[in-house]
Amino acid sequence: MSGLDTRAASRRATRPATVILAIIGIAVALVWIFPVYWMVNSAFLPNVVLQSQTPTFVPLGGSFTNFATVIGGGTFLPALGMSLAIAVIVVACCLLFAFLAALAISRFRFRGRKGFVLAILFIQMLPAEGLFIAQYKLMASVNLLNTVLGVSIIYIAAVVPFTIWMLRGFVAGIPAELEEAAMVDGLSRTQAFLRITFPLLAPGLVASGVYAFLQSWNEFTVALVVLQDNSAETLPLWLRGFIQASQSHAIDWGQVMAASTLVALPVIIFFLFVQGRMTSGLVSGAVKG
Amino acid sequence: MKRRLASVTAVALASALALAACSSGTGTTASSVAASTDGKGKTITLWLAGGDTPDALRTYLKTEFHKETKGTLVIQQQDWSDIVTKLTTALPDKNNTPDVTEMGNTQSPTFTNVGAFLDISDMYKELGGSNLLQSFVAAGKVDGKNYTLPYYFGSRYVFYRKDVWAKAGITSVPTTLDQFNTDVAMIASKNPDNIQDFSGFYLGGQDWRDGISWIFANGGDIAKQEGGKWVATLDSAATQKGLKQLQAIYQNASDAPNDAKDSNQYIYINDDDSIAGATASDAATPVSLAAATIMAPGWAHWSIGTKGTDAKGAVTRTWDDATYGVFPLPGNDGKPAPVFAGGSNIGISAKSKNPGLAKTLLKIMFGKTYQEMLGKNGLGPANSKYVSSLGSDEFATALTDSASNSKLTPAAPGWASVESSSTLEEFFSKIKDSTDLEALAKEYDAKLNPLLNGK
Amino acid sequence: MSVVAVRKRKIVFTPYFLLIPAVAILALAMGYPLVWQLVTSTEKFGLAQQFGQPPVFVGLGNYIALASDPYMWTVIGRSLLFCFAAAALTMVIGVLVALLMRAVNRVVRVILQISMLLAWAMPVVAAMTVWNWLFDWRRGVVNWVLSALGLPFQNHNWLQDPLSFYLVALIIVVWMSVPFVAFSIFAGLTQVSGEVLEAAQMDGATPRQRFFHIIVPIIRPVLSIVLLLQVIWDLRVFTQIRLLQDAGSIASETNLLGTYIYQLGTGSGDFGTASAVSIFVLLLTIAISAFYVRSLLKEDES
Repeated sequence: MSGLDTRAASRRATRPATVILAIIGIAVALVWIFPVYWMVNSAFLPNVVLQSQTPTFVPLGGSFTNFATVIGGGTFLPALGMSLAIAVIVVACCLLFAFLAALAISRFRFRGRKGFVLAILFIQMLPAEGLFIAQYKLMASVNLLNTVLGVSIIYIAAVVPFTIWMLRGFVAGIPAELEEAAMVDGLSRTQAFLRITFPLLAPGLVASGVYAFLQSWNEFTVALVVLQDNSAETLPLWLRGFIQASQSHAIDWGQVMAASTLVALPVIIFFLFVQGRMTSGLVSGAVKG
Repeated sequence: MKRRLASVTAVALASALALAACSSGTGTTASSVAASTDGKGKTITLWLAGGDTPDALRTYLKTEFHKETKGTLVIQQQDWSDIVTKLTTALPDKNNTPDVTEMGNTQSPTFTNVGAFLDISDMYKELGGSNLLQSFVAAGKVDGKNYTLPYYFGSRYVFYRKDVWAKAGITSVPTTLDQFNTDVAMIASKNPDNIQDFSGFYLGGQDWRDGISWIFANGGDIAKQEGGKWVATLDSAATQKGLKQLQAIYQNASDAPNDAKDSNQYIYINDDDSIAGATASDAATPVSLAAATIMAPGWAHWSIGTKGTDAKGAVTRTWDDATYGVFPLPGNDGKPAPVFAGGSNIGISAKSKNPGLAKTLLKIMFGKTYQEMLGKNGLGPANSKYVSSLGSDEFATALTDSASNSKLTPAAPGWASVESSSTLEEFFSKIKDSTDLEALAKEYDAKLNPLLNGK
Repeated sequence: MSVVAVRKRKIVFTPYFLLIPAVAILALAMGYPLVWQLVTSTEKFGLAQQFGQPPVFVGLGNYIALASDPYMWTVIGRSLLFCFAAAALTMVIGVLVALLMRAVNRVVRVILQISMLLAWAMPVVAAMTVWNWLFDWRRGVVNWVLSALGLPFQNHNWLQDPLSFYLVALIIVVWMSVPFVAFSIFAGLTQVSGEVLEAAQMDGATPRQRFFHIIVPIIRPVLSIVLLLQVIWDLRVFTQIRLLQDAGSIASETNLLGTYIYQLGTGSGDFGTASAVSIFVLLLTIAISAFYVRSLLKEDES
């Protein structure tokens, strides 16, 4: 239960408690990062060392050869472009659509509201494994097979219900009076929104944004069905193709892990970007404010 | 390449013949379309499964097609494990269907029976006729009409470590199945390099596609047709004899786990996966060599040998005759034991907008030049006239010898459900630890019967 | 942005305008597949129908066939157990990690967040490749470590026995889900004011009391939706099970609902039955969450 202490409380807590918490924190971090570390470690090692029964824990004498080979294959960059385009569209549309819908359901009482709330809950309960024929037919009928837009539409629809729920909690948590008070103080409505509401919403937007980004970045099954053209591959399709190609000549784990690392890298960059921008700065400000 | 047979089944076949019962082959009416060479400004698409067709062959097809028709040929590669999903969605869609597509030979009935392909009976003679591999032709035939034809074939044979066999005191290749069974058990018990969890013959517990040869070789089978119905025959005397031999191998010769599948067997007979400098006898640093013998589809030989890297840094394997050898699994009758055939069929989509051009492409693919190109790359050509292009090395010999006695799966209406439900994988995984093989066989016969007959 | 003012009018059109984009995209991308699935579940729909044969209407035939298949019930039982175990573990660990993020100092928090994020960011295909490899029977690091500790785990095959297969699956699924839960709840926790907690502490509230009486009510919306999502996702977990099955195990002994639907549909081309299972899973999920959704709505109304 010591983990329940607040930052404010732990500031005053005795030194040993802080140290113990820090140790627990580091231990948890290590457990979660190990598979990731293993991926990156392996990416630097030649296959010969990897196949040994005694694991090599530190890539001493490792090299970037695997990365160079993977990128040199020529199909990584187009797939990266495809995935980035989809992710940008999905994150932007999702946050906008969900924010508007969250405003509607948290600040208004209207006919059909309950139905809408139920619908977005239930829509997520349908297993996707049986849907691929319908999704294909849908995209074929509107001529959006093998396009960024087509796959984005399906992703947005898949992510938006959750995002609405997430943001709804945050919007509901911000008293409308705050904004009104700010306007009384002479701010315009836009200013009031940007200075008061938006910062309080930021953590929710970041969490939802990261979620939307990751979902679109990692999605595999829908992409497999609606992106059948080799020139319209997203990164997960590319990675899977890479693994299968590698398997046909005695799988080269080092290269597969290098490929996986390359797929994960943009996500990390994206997060570090939003993390630095929002979580630390605005959030702490908002909480204290 | 070795993924083929695994994926052919793992990914599942729709219940082809079962459905045929209610639909019956409804391919487009006997195509009046003749092969066309007027392809100016037109594009057709060819789907190839996996990376098995080498780049040089793809380039040849593109240039040759352009030369003959002035049209463009686009080749899309689809992964083996996804091809059923993609064929299921794209083939019925006239705007996005590939014009010509490759598929696994056991996947072919699935799609021909629902009318996915164009009737190409009119081209059958021209493309090779009775010279084409007949068991594959049959897989693409419905009501006497040809819908798909063989693309290339492979076969399963034995790969072994000459060095380990020699250290165990065996210097000549076995000529009968009984001898083979004794040899691999002895190698396992001697374990000359003292390797932990060593297999004289590595046979995965769920690997029924290799293990089935012991049933075939003793005259047994999975099922037979009786009065219009299919009956599973795992409990027949002949099958039981094969199963007993198999159980002995699982218990005494193989250390593969009960759930190991028909994939990647070759990694267990490569030994360069060790840490540089370590030797096989150095117990402190065990190496990955774990089997003296494996059985695998012929294309596995590309994955076996001394490891190296090519100019691009990709892994290569160099076969070393002093260390590795191959032979067809011997039967007890002087002939090779019957094995499972593997390979691909090829067909024109019934929804193709350019069937004429697609036919021209087929002509190129069944022409002498292309067939011989297949053979030179170790893929068994569809047309038996060109089999000599495989060459006369040990792989070619093992391939043609073992293929000479190969079998396909029972043509039961519900075969696809048998594969998708993994019933045989499950049955084989239980052989090793079974105390009553006959009861086990009866139990699985009862599971197979309704599946085989499509319920 | 004029929500505040608009709220006071008598007839409000604004909420409907605000909902247009979300509703439009959902109707477009989810409407047709949902209807297709419902219709197909009442038909004998196989590959022949996919290739143009008219489907035969069988009413509830597919559902009745399923309900009388004991294997279906086995799979449902397994899936429910797995779902509850995975969702409960994920929630508990997720909440603890979120609280830990709040309690530790900045440096440790960033380390914790980055490691969680890295785990979350790992592509599923890649993550499963690594996990399969960690548990590989010959070269797996897990066996290596356990053997080094003197335990008899050299060349131990984890995937062969269904129970240990599920244990491995559980570890992987929880590992993959915790970051999302932890981040969502951490975001929710930012709305809990430190002053209030401090005040409560001074009034003598124990950490336990502070958690259940102050923190939980504030983060309840996030907590409830995250739990609901975990239940939904874990009930039909697919990719992880499928890729583990590729690595080992006997499929019929390790199938869960997700892989079962896949085997029926893509596997056997029996899309009618596969759709019926899907609809059944939908109903099952609604049933499991009905009580919970009702309280969620009630809370929402107030």
